[in-house]
Amino acid sequence: MSSLISLENITKVYRSGLSDFHALKGVSFELNIGEMVAIVGASGSGKSTLMNIMGFLDHCTTGKYFFAGQDVSCVPEQDLAGIRNQKIGFVFQSFFLLPRLNALQNTMLPLLYRQTSTELAKEKALLMLEKVGMVNFAKHKPNQLSGGQQQRVAIARALVGEPDVIFADEPTGSLDSATGRDVMDLFHHLNQQEKCTIVIITHDKSVSQNCQRIVTICDGHIV
Amino acid sequence: MKLLAHLKEAFLNLSSSKLRSTLALLGILVGTASVVAMVSGGELATNEALKQFKTLGTDLLAVAINDVPNDEPGSHQQINLSLSQANAIRAVDKNILDVAPYTQLYNPMQYEGRSVNGSVLGITNTFSQVIHLEIASGRLISSFDQHSLFCVIGSNLYDDLKKINFRDPLGKQLQIGQNFFTIVGVVKPWPENSFVYANIDSSVLIPILTSTTLSQYSTINNVILRLAPRANIEELNSHITQYINQEIPGKRLFFRSAKELISSMAKQSQILTIFLGLIGGISLLVGGIGVMNIMLVSVVERRREIGIRLAVGATRADIRYLFLTEAVLLSLVGGTLGVLIGIMIAFVIAWLWHWEFLLFWWPPIIGFSVSVAIGVFFGFYPAYQASQLDPIEALRSE
Ligand SMILES: Nc1ncnc2c1ncn2[C@@H]1O[C@H](COP(=O)(O)OP(=O)(O)O)[C@@H](O)[C@H]1O
Ligand SMILES: [Mg+2]
Repeated sequence: MSSLISLENITKVYRSGLSDFHALKGVSFELNIGEMVAIVGASGSGKSTLMNIMGFLDHCTTGKYFFAGQDVSCVPEQDLAGIRNQKIGFVFQSFFLLPRLNALQNTMLPLLYRQTSTELAKEKALLMLEKVGMVNFAKHKPNQLSGGQQQRVAIARALVGEPDVIFADEPTGSLDSATGRDVMDLFHHLNQQEKCTIVIITHDKSVSQNCQRIVTICDGHIV
Repeated sequence: MKLLAHLKEAFLNLSSSKLRSTLALLGILVGTASVVAMVSGGELATNEALKQFKTLGTDLLAVAINDVPNDEPGSHQQINLSLSQANAIRAVDKNILDVAPYTQLYNPMQYEGRSVNGSVLGITNTFSQVIHLEIASGRLISSFDQHSLFCVIGSNLYDDLKKINFRDPLGKQLQIGQNFFTIVGVVKPWPENSFVYANIDSSVLIPILTSTTLSQYSTINNVILRLAPRANIEELNSHITQYINQEIPGKRLFFRSAKELISSMAKQSQILTIFLGLIGGISLLVGGIGVMNIMLVSVVERRREIGIRLAVGATRADIRYLFLTEAVLLSLVGGTLGVLIGIMIAFVIAWLWHWEFLLFWWPPIIGFSVSVAIGVFFGFYPAYQASQLDPIEALRSE
């Protein structure tokens, strides 16, 4: 299996006033193409920090980050947007859909930021909404959808740009357990049928059940 | 994203907070309207002031011949210009086409036993040609009138006299001082102007020789000249000065040319227009600050949205455009409405002051482009601030 992400001794220090806070204290981690990995850890253990670094939302303080074999530890700031747009799909705990846009428009958003024509973007977005079972709700605004439905739209938005990897930060955290299970089943289905590489971040061990691999993070270390 | 998509998105975002957008729009609207209205108003006033010269013509020169103050006793016997001397001014320079000397009297007047207000002008037959006076009924003063007791009256005076006994004053007798004059003509209303001081409309015009005989105070000390187009005024002035000094020494001459008057009036009104434009500009500036204020609030409120957009791959430039487009759209709409309302205000001003309304093309263009420039200028900082947000912090904010 070929490696998509390789982290070597990553540290992250938050400087706040006088005291420095070490959120990650030397994390090494491999993610292979086609894997579905769960990163589990208590609240405040550094999971989101790790995801932000892997997802090009943030820079690590020290260490080496290889993405698809390339050293990306020091990519200039202005290239990050393009990388996020092309390579990464995010799913967040509170869905983070734009309230003024309907499900279809929300799903189209990543494509519009890469100059895809509106017609093509619409076509692709509808296809994605179909995959997550939301095509009948394409014209609905987020506030007209349930939490589970919103998360499905968010997953469609993460998938629409055909990214190399999807990062889901506590994707079931705002959902009741049954809906949460549905969402996890969707991720599992996407991993199995669509060969998506998926990283699920959660503090809830039960969520990580159908992941192939579970990585536990504790106090900034992988154990 | 393409421009149209940007505009559409900006429109949606703005209409989602209608009251606030409307208020920002209103600021720009009022600012633009005041620039357009004030500058157009200034231009209309200028047009109105210069309009008198449309009937009057611009090739006029007024010469006033004044006594030099002299304290020596016994020297009060001043010599004045005779009619033939005045008419001879025409020969002084080939650029002088016509000469119209006139005298002014302030004798009391009576009509049908009632006293009448008005001044008396002693004129020659050339007067009406030089200042483009037209007859409404009857006839003008002719060169055959000489010392006769005929008079021509202005249109306002005609109305006044008519009101006294509701009969047409033409052919009736008007008493000036001790003498009775027969009214032989009425002239058409003549535009009030700053070139000939006398108000023809409420004057009585009598033959100049009659006027000089009537009163020793009636002297020829005003001459109006019609000049050839493009005459050299400076040269003309010196020729006339030379001539008058030679004929009747010890006088001081004052010249007023219509062209100089026009250019000084134009300059004055230009200053007025700029001043009015600046006042309007200040309110536009205030409108711009309003836009900036609202955009700053909007950036703070939409931090989460900015974070989401950054996460799905919007570049900093995309975010900047997002907010800049909103600011520009606000000022675009405000500017357009402001131009329309400004023109309407200018129209109302013209209507209230009974001015002729003209649509000047440049105040709307200035008002519109300044308002858009203001939108870009005051929209830029909030847009820049939005684009510099850290994606993680933006996502974390409520
Ligand atoms: N911007 C920041 N500044 C300072 N400390 C931070 C910042 N972001 C996160 N932290 C701290 O780093 C630790 C790890 O945070 P995070 O990665 O969000 O944990 P979690 O595992 O709950 O996702 C927490 O203790 C948090 O307080
Ligand atoms: Mg977290």
